[in-house]
Amino acid sequence: MMLDGNRRLLEGETSRARDLGSTLRRFGTYFGQYWGWLASALLLIGVATWSQVISPDYIQQATDCYFYPSPMSNCWYDPAVATAIREGALDQVPLETKLAGLGGIVAILAGLYVLGAIVTGMAFYAMGRSGQLVLRKLRMELFDKMQRLSLNFYSENEVGNLMSRLTSDTDTIQQVFSFALLSVISGTMLIVWVMIRMLETNIPYALVSLAVVPVMFIATLYFSNQARKAFRKSRQEMGSVNADLQESIAGVREVQAFNREEENIAQFERTNAANRDANVRAAAFTSALNPVLEALGYVALGVVVVVGGLSLLRNEPLLGTSVISLGTVFAFLQYVQRFNQPVSQIAVLWTNIQSAIAGGERIFGLLDERIDILDKPNARQMPTQITGAVEFQDVKAGYKADQPVLKGISFAAKPGQTIAIVGPTGAGKTTIINLIPRFYDVSGGSVLIDGIDVRDVTQESLRQHIGIVLQDTFLFSDTVMENIRFGRLGATDEEVIAAAKLVAADTFIERLPEGYQTVLGERGSGLSQGQRQLIAIARVALMKPSVLILDEATSSVDTRTERIIQKAFEQLLQGRTSFVIAHRLSTIRNADLVLMLRDGEIVERGTHHELLELRGQYYDLYMSQFRKEEEPEHSVSNESGAQPNGQVPVSAAPQPAGD
Amino acid sequence: MQASAARPQFGGRGRGARPASNGGLGRAIGYLGRDRRLTLITYGALIVASLAQLAVPQLIQNMINAITQGTTANSILGLPPLVRDVAAQAAGYNIAELENIQVNAESWLIGATVAIVLLAVARGIFSFVQAFLSEQISQSVAFNFRNEIFAKIQRLSFSYHDRNQTGQLMIRATDDVERVRLFIAQGLVLTAQAFILLIATLVILFLTNWQLTLVVLPILPIAMIVFMIFGAVSQPLFVEIQQRLAALNTVLQENMAGVKVVRAFTREKAQQTKFYGAVDDVVAQQLRVARTFSFLFPVIFLIAQAGQAALLYFAGRGIITGDLTAGEYQSFSLYVTYIFFPLGQLGFIISLLAQAGASATRIFEILDAKNDVTDKPDAIELPPIQGHVTFNDVTFRYFSSGDPVLKNISFEAVPGQTIALLGGTGSGKTTIINLIPRFYDASEGAILIDGHDLRDVTLDSLRSQIGIVLQETNLFSGTIRDNIAFGRPDATDEDVIAAAQAAAAHDFIVTFPDGYNTLVGERGATLSGGQKQRVAIARALLLNPRILILDDSTSSVDLQTESRIQKALDNLMRGRTSFVIAQRITTVLNADLILVLDKGEVVATGKHDDLMEHSPIYAEIYNSQLVGDAEMTDAVPTGQEV
Repeated sequence: MMLDGNRRLLEGETSRARDLGSTLRRFGTYFGQYWGWLASALLLIGVATWSQVISPDYIQQATDCYFYPSPMSNCWYDPAVATAIREGALDQVPLETKLAGLGGIVAILAGLYVLGAIVTGMAFYAMGRSGQLVLRKLRMELFDKMQRLSLNFYSENEVGNLMSRLTSDTDTIQQVFSFALLSVISGTMLIVWVMIRMLETNIPYALVSLAVVPVMFIATLYFSNQARKAFRKSRQEMGSVNADLQESIAGVREVQAFNREEENIAQFERTNAANRDANVRAAAFTSALNPVLEALGYVALGVVVVVGGLSLLRNEPLLGTSVISLGTVFAFLQYVQRFNQPVSQIAVLWTNIQSAIAGGERIFGLLDERIDILDKPNARQMPTQITGAVEFQDVKAGYKADQPVLKGISFAAKPGQTIAIVGPTGAGKTTIINLIPRFYDVSGGSVLIDGIDVRDVTQESLRQHIGIVLQDTFLFSDTVMENIRFGRLGATDEEVIAAAKLVAADTFIERLPEGYQTVLGERGSGLSQGQRQLIAIARVALMKPSVLILDEATSSVDTRTERIIQKAFEQLLQGRTSFVIAHRLSTIRNADLVLMLRDGEIVERGTHHELLELRGQYYDLYMSQFRKEEEPEHSVSNESGAQPNGQVPVSAAPQPAGD
Repeated sequence: MQASAARPQFGGRGRGARPASNGGLGRAIGYLGRDRRLTLITYGALIVASLAQLAVPQLIQNMINAITQGTTANSILGLPPLVRDVAAQAAGYNIAELENIQVNAESWLIGATVAIVLLAVARGIFSFVQAFLSEQISQSVAFNFRNEIFAKIQRLSFSYHDRNQTGQLMIRATDDVERVRLFIAQGLVLTAQAFILLIATLVILFLTNWQLTLVVLPILPIAMIVFMIFGAVSQPLFVEIQQRLAALNTVLQENMAGVKVVRAFTREKAQQTKFYGAVDDVVAQQLRVARTFSFLFPVIFLIAQAGQAALLYFAGRGIITGDLTAGEYQSFSLYVTYIFFPLGQLGFIISLLAQAGASATRIFEILDAKNDVTDKPDAIELPPIQGHVTFNDVTFRYFSSGDPVLKNISFEAVPGQTIALLGGTGSGKTTIINLIPRFYDASEGAILIDGHDLRDVTLDSLRSQIGIVLQETNLFSGTIRDNIAFGRPDATDEDVIAAAQAAAAHDFIVTFPDGYNTLVGERGATLSGGQKQRVAIARALLLNPRILILDDSTSSVDLQTESRIQKALDNLMRGRTSFVIAQRITTVLNADLILVLDKGEVVATGKHDDLMEHSPIYAEIYNSQLVGDAEMTDAVPTGQEV
């Protein structure tokens, strides 16, 4: 059991805290609230240790009083026997008295075992409980913090990394709270206490008997550090094995199409062999740890017996101290046997405690992260009814201080208007739409909704009015129903279904295995991209916001779905002030205002027609697209003649495609 | 790898105990036979180490007896002569014996101590050898398993991969293999060790002192039952912790990944409630575990100690009456711990066994999976082909009992022709192109290339003459050059560059600092969708195949890139028999033959002009899919990609 335990402990990643003192102090404040539990844990473990320290005394008494009473014996348990020993009248002590005395000692020992076991259990419970409650508080605070950190933080920190950091850090802390910390404390307590007892009994004998302990420590530290190093390597190799597997399985169709099976198998064997070798190397150290400790334990035992035994046999006191009794030898035998486990535990767990502190430091670091977007202390509520007039006044913004993304943007959207935002990647389209729900703050100028600066109202009351459909649709692992209801928590099932119908999402939802109650996998897996987008649209439809933000990027969806989505969008746009990062010509054509962005500035604005007539940058962009499509369009119109549904994609003539 | 917070200190971890199929586990253990020599050494070392362990109490007894007898001799011989004889008699010795003891006690003591230290060292060495070797052989069993699983997965046909997800397959090659390995490294050894210790100890105990053995014996079944209960109780508790933690992590993960959505809909409070609930669930379970353990732990400890306490009393009585020596007691009490130690591991062994059994079954499910598409024993090499493809009345079902996905498809493609496949989702387009490289076998009918039935030729020789560009492009970690040379690793740099140029990929490749040696994939640069697709086209071009299969839909790329890709595809198709799942007007217009598919049947064939006139279905598809498509792509360019 311990062997496996050690291995698992050694396998984990480790790190050290940079500022030990302040991290510990901070943990201290968390535990402050549970100091009662903590103190009882310490007290109980103290009692448990005491029971372990004291029990060899009784073995010694049994030996010295009853088993091998002799003038050298140190018998205090049974005064009658002690007197008899002094007077050389042992024969007169009846067997029944001895047996009764022995029975008493056994009862005491049994009592000590029971007590020790019970208080140990209680101590771990008390410690575990306070640890769990602290961890609970940490988790909640962390979550709240993550909820408030600005989106800037999330664009700088990858969620996957953040997540694995958090899980592994809380994992280590949890392990330490529930097990490692108390084990180390009780181990240390036991070692120190036993040492004191031994030193009290006979200093030279104790020193000789303890000589092996430092060697045990050094050996454990050496082997566990080497093992950790080796495991670090094997973790990396395992990473390569996983990467190879992932890639070759996910890409198996290509592998077979290109006849690459044999090469891949050969390559995998190499990666796999490297992983095996790293593991075997680590195994050399983990396998050595226990045998070495065990052998050292026997050496300690041998030393105790030889030194004590010789002193006894020769009747020579050890370096001028009192003569060692047989009982003392037995007691020391028990003592040294108690060192083995705590020594290896302390040496192995110490590093884990260090990593937990380092993990704590990282978590505290996260808790101390500055929040960029805060409600003002006197922020008011956005009125519950707004018209949806949005105005940008000379807005400047950037994600980093020295790199402005928007350089003075001004425009006004009247209630109900659709604003199409076009421009090349990096022009600042996404930044504009991110400023409206105040995902970021402007660095200059202001964003006004119904004439109210978005910074003057609470974020919650502001965002209640704004519906957003993002390019990368995020669904929660919950039912379809709940995913749509996300838009308005109070909505009834009927309202949810009505919203889905409105955006034509109900057809496919009803075909799902359990309809609206189908539970979606993480990130909405099991649904196609288009279906996910439809759910996201239904979500916003349910919300009925006054201001709408759409990112229209066409992801790879088939044409039919594309058309449904398009219709859904059109439904959604009606009667709301809408901002669309436009990718479809129809959207742009229908927009009340097209903003052509380039390098953080609005270079052209107006309707589609007006902009084309300008023959400026919008025209150029449009034309480059147009020229590309020119050839097929020619052939279409020439060869097929009629367009049955009257949809002319783009007319062949080099002039604005008209309605 | 695992995000487990609770590390069970007792019993197992992870997914609950599933019904073990020992057939699978037995086969897994059979893998040890591949390295018979090391296995024998391991178990030999285990036996030696166990025997050494069994000798320890005997040697301790010798040491202690040397001391006690020595001191007895000393004290008796130190008495006045008169009393001496009486005392000696009372102790059961005569004077000569006592003198002998007195003279020799020291050397006996030192001898016994030296022996025990030597034995300890020997035991240390053997148990190291055993531990290390069992780890080593278990690692090589895992190594073999992973290799076999990997090789099998690489060779299993598409139909298998249709049914199994990447993640699932990966878990088998990683977690399941690790569980089986753990059992082989530890469970098996512990079982063997437990058996040796338990049986040998009981024999020794009975032989040395059966009366005392009877004192301890009744505790054994009780202990066994308690340990079993313990295992049975603790296992599900930990499984539950894992599940609750997983739920908690999901909430956390989703809130971070979906942060924008949560903010946008101001759902912070609701999500907070959800998360707090998950946290409380975890804490409640953790506390339940802590409570259970703080109760069970003393019980277990107590049972092990009860034996020792009883032993102390009965053995003590023996010592007092002179029936037993202190050394005998010490050795006896050590032997008793040897019985309880393996019992304590019983629960651990059982949980390892249960997990490993289930895992082994899952592993062999893969290794035993039947490959639907394999070379015939007498398959011939397909000679260099012209590219004449014929479908003769081909019907295809994914499952033998299922509905046909393709029904009686017949057509012929002459070398150099471009065949456009058109139809809605589920019409069978993809299935047709999957049949040509024999990713699946036709259920009925035959597919011929240059007159050879696909099933009569080797897969390698067939697929090496077919180039494929799929809609979703997977690149592999390695350099760009490696990826282009994926199908022909021995291609020269000139060939690779030529292929990249034809695929319009060369220009962007050379803008990277490392050019063709730029690393891509997991640990390298990320290429955009359009760039990936062009690398994939280059990859297919490098094969210089006579037959080409492609899905010409481009995933979200900007328009300039799209036109480049289109050009690359045109280059690719020139002079080859090409099968194209058509999404673009140009492709359809230029096709030599258009197959219009509906529900697995060819409903119309011909060229664009005839079909426009004669096939209403084609006209409809053309208008709804292709023309609409044109409008869709007819957006304003949004990026200026290199």
